[in-house]
Amino acid sequence: MSDSIARDCVRTGVRAGTWQDAIRLAAAPLVERGSIEESYVDRMISSVDELGPYIALMPGFALAHAAPGEDVHVSDLSVALFDDEIFFGSDNDPVRVVMCLACVDRESHIARLQTVAEKLLDDTFVGRMVACASEQQLYELVNA
Amino acid sequence: MAVPTIQTVCGVGCGSSLMLRMNVEKIAKANGYEIRAFCGDVGTCCANECDVIFISKELGERIEGRAKVPIVEFDNFMNKAEVEEKTLAYLESFAAEHGDA
Repeated sequence: MSDSIARDCVRTGVRAGTWQDAIRLAAAPLVERGSIEESYVDRMISSVDELGPYIALMPGFALAHAAPGEDVHVSDLSVALFDDEIFFGSDNDPVRVVMCLACVDRESHIARLQTVAEKLLDDTFVGRMVACASEQQLYELVNA
Repeated sequence: MAVPTIQTVCGVGCGSSLMLRMNVEKIAKANGYEIRAFCGDVGTCCANECDVIFISKELGERIEGRAKVPIVEFDNFMNKAEVEEKTLAYLESFAAEHGDA
């Protein structure tokens, strides 16, 4: 089975300052590899402005995403582990791990997201992501 | 036997609502319930046919009064204990209402 999250879509040692920058930095690999356009990143940010910080799904973790659209070319996932604490204005602050999800439609990404979601259901998983000392370690953990 | 249709809802209908849908399906299966589940977004969910809407607390306020079906609100889609408790409570009440022992 192929990776849930590609090696070049895993970043660690990133510093953001604001939640908006955190989403931009976590999504950057998806823009670089052509999976999404910059406008999708803007839409992920505006959906938080509009709908609130519910994307901070669990303590320490946020899943940034927006609706499928023409600015998504390939359904894809990326993840970034931040050195600093990110505040979304949620009960689940501070966030250290931001995952970005892009989908071309509502169904095609399910298998990949499911693999990741099952890991997230383990309460210790966010803590284990935060404890990763290198990108390689985080990559292996999310794809284990 | 009547099978409930559950709509899981988030802001855009393909990220966190999918996480919740997968959790709910897993819990139903583990407890021997047959369900249908699909994802919706907060803007259009009230127009979709279903028996119940599962939604986050923050977004739930936006559809109160507009939804034609019961709403179950969640503090945390990924909290296994909360999702299990509320899902099973709903499934039990649905079964009782539809005469299944």
